[in-house]
Amino acid sequence: MTDAKPLLEARQVFRGFFGNPVLKGVDIALYPGRVHALLGENGAGKSTLINLLSGALQPDNGEIVIDGQPAGRYSPASARAAGIAVVQQELSLTANLSIAENIGLGAFPRRFGLIDYATLHRGVRDVCAMVGLTEPLDMPVADLSLGRRQTVEIAKALYRKPRVLILDEPTSSLSAHEAGVLADLMVTLRDQGTALLYISHRLNEVQALCSHVTVLKDGKVTGNQSLSGIDGEGLVRLMVGRETGDLFPPRSAAQPTATRIMVEGFSAGAVKEISFSGRAGEIVGIGGLVGQGQEDLLLGLYGAIPAKATKAEISDRQDLPRHVQAANAAGIVYVPADRKHEGLVLPHSIASNIILPSLGRLARHGLRDRSAESGLIADLARQLTIKGDVGRPVQALSGGNQQKVALAKWLPINPSILLLNDPTRGVDIETKREIYLMLRNFATEGRLVIIASSDTPELVHLCDRVVVLREGRVAAELEADAISEEAIVGAAMGVEQAGAAA
Amino acid sequence: MTVISSSDRLYRAIQGRRNRGLGGLYLVVAAFVVLYAILFPGILSMGGFAKFTQNWFPLALVAMAQALMMLTGGISLAIGPLVSLGAVIAATTMGGSLGVVGGVAAVALTGLAIGAVTGVIVAHLRLPAIIVTLAGSFIVTGVALILLPRPGGFIPDWLSDALAGHTPTAFLLLGLILLMWKAFLATPLGLGIYAAGDNPVGAFRSGIPVERTKVVAFAVSGLLACLAGLFVAAQTGSGDPIIGTPFTLNSIAAAVLGGVGFLGGKGTMRGAICGSLLLSVMINVMFFLGFPPVAQYVAQGLIIVSAVAVPELIHAWRAKR
Repeated sequence: MTDAKPLLEARQVFRGFFGNPVLKGVDIALYPGRVHALLGENGAGKSTLINLLSGALQPDNGEIVIDGQPAGRYSPASARAAGIAVVQQELSLTANLSIAENIGLGAFPRRFGLIDYATLHRGVRDVCAMVGLTEPLDMPVADLSLGRRQTVEIAKALYRKPRVLILDEPTSSLSAHEAGVLADLMVTLRDQGTALLYISHRLNEVQALCSHVTVLKDGKVTGNQSLSGIDGEGLVRLMVGRETGDLFPPRSAAQPTATRIMVEGFSAGAVKEISFSGRAGEIVGIGGLVGQGQEDLLLGLYGAIPAKATKAEISDRQDLPRHVQAANAAGIVYVPADRKHEGLVLPHSIASNIILPSLGRLARHGLRDRSAESGLIADLARQLTIKGDVGRPVQALSGGNQQKVALAKWLPINPSILLLNDPTRGVDIETKREIYLMLRNFATEGRLVIIASSDTPELVHLCDRVVVLREGRVAAELEADAISEEAIVGAAMGVEQAGAAA
Repeated sequence: MTVISSSDRLYRAIQGRRNRGLGGLYLVVAAFVVLYAILFPGILSMGGFAKFTQNWFPLALVAMAQALMMLTGGISLAIGPLVSLGAVIAATTMGGSLGVVGGVAAVALTGLAIGAVTGVIVAHLRLPAIIVTLAGSFIVTGVALILLPRPGGFIPDWLSDALAGHTPTAFLLLGLILLMWKAFLATPLGLGIYAAGDNPVGAFRSGIPVERTKVVAFAVSGLLACLAGLFVAAQTGSGDPIIGTPFTLNSIAAAVLGGVGFLGGKGTMRGAICGSLLLSVMINVMFFLGFPPVAQYVAQGLIIVSAVAVPELIHAWRAKR
């Protein structure tokens, strides 16, 4: 394996956008039978490098080399022809077509010019077995959860029988179980001689799966080495270029005080008759496999979907909020997981996004008060370390900074309860640290923070208490030392664990 | 027409699932047709059935034309003018040296060409279809009026008899067109229309030639609209440069009744055909029951709004339980 030739290389590639250099002379070489990790903070140039490797963009300088030959005029079509497949973060599926048709899309087997459904069926069945997709193949993708769609996306890449497979944050919407299936699959592909490039913000996955790593920082390679003999701290140092403390802030010693939320017999969407409570000063984590009712629990408490409870006490009220405005009035705010669609108005500026919930409160005589607004905007931007011009559209920001804006807009109404749905999905490590610290400070100030997360280390190290949901019911409630990755994953998957009793 | 891998389980399962999604619509259409047959038993005779399907046929064609546009994520405001132009070209060419065959070819080529040009403008210049087809509707109407300023022209009697006489030719033609659509949808290009309409970026990355797919969809849509015009000319025995006007909005209404979505990639051709049948039956019923025209319009509007609202309400009601 050591004397094998790389299947795909980038040699000294440069690429900029509008005069702003993003990649400054990057080298990377993907070898058959090796899982190669690509690490870097958001904005380090990972996506641009992937786009160059897959032909979606052309380098300004330098070259892409396939099997030792310069690729010349390189396009997505020639990349496919060379056996290079990419699983992008943004899904490329068509909602109203079936799973099988989506997997074959763009690479349909044909007979007499028509799609050969029989051959398609066989090929799709094989790749679905590999990725653990058990849904009927004629099911429209629209009926699948986000995690299952991501699995279809992976199957779609495999269907093209790639020699080089690039996976861009494939686990960001997968459950722990699905991520495990993917990990096994990657090992199989590696042993079959596929070259894999794996991009993830989850260092434990990278360390478990990959043998070689390239680290990007500000468009330059800061590390290109074997993963053996380097620990998480070392990787983080290469990414951020300095010593890092612990990713998670220490838990506060202060005891939680008054009960802020107490519900019994609570049902909303997929959540069925659970009891749940939270006190001021606490960070409560909600874990579980994807789609077990975590989001519905938050939305139900927020009054955004119909919910009912036999007994409810929320912020001194004896009732669940009927709608979102009532929840906001009671000091409850919600930060959605899908920040691009539900949390932000992407084309609008940072300023107008963070001022949105406060517009009515700041108005005088029904007209907007510009000076009060700009004061508030400057204040929030400073508080949340949102860098640069607040007049920029939010869509120009990295994922982490977008999330900060989605969070910042609620602070002026001084919420007593924050509901957060997967706030660090697709967020780089440095911003994650900032967000964790911010959440811990909120709790210390006497607020209640409830966070649904698919990132198990986050639940373990950030939260004071973790509630694990399974099929809409509480599978475990863990506190203090009982919180461990094993206990959370075990409860989520229905494995009995000692000490996991509620 | 070869049988499209009909032996394959996967293909049948996908088709079956699409039919199940339309079950409610099929029931409503069947109920209306039965009601119609009870009110007007004449439809059960050969001549009555022929007349009924002839009234429905052009609406079915424009519903298909509109559904195609909506599947690509656009909408066409030029359907009616294209129907008029088709009628005018048929009526002005068939009497001349081109003859009937040449006339049909001229109509078909005109529809394909106008559709393709519109498609190129929309797909390659990334302009919204609604604006481009709005502009197109003025131009096409103008051209139709230049070719034939007032109703007239010539359609051979035998052609009128063959298409719009006492035989259900129109119904058979519709069946044929549906089969051709089914074959088209079983090609990678046809299925690509759904992908290009729903998620153009994803379709591009999957290797679908998104622009070419849209241009083909627009061209086929133009073809169907112009052929509807040819049929209308045969029905009336002459060309009329503004006869197609009501078809623009009726085509949208029929497609919406049939469950075709506005955002692209959602809906089925069989749904659009059912929608057009429903609309046609409703118009006929109200006409024969002696509704004044004003009441017809109001009723038509209410029915279309409920067609869109009822599935949403059922969905919300199910979610609540």
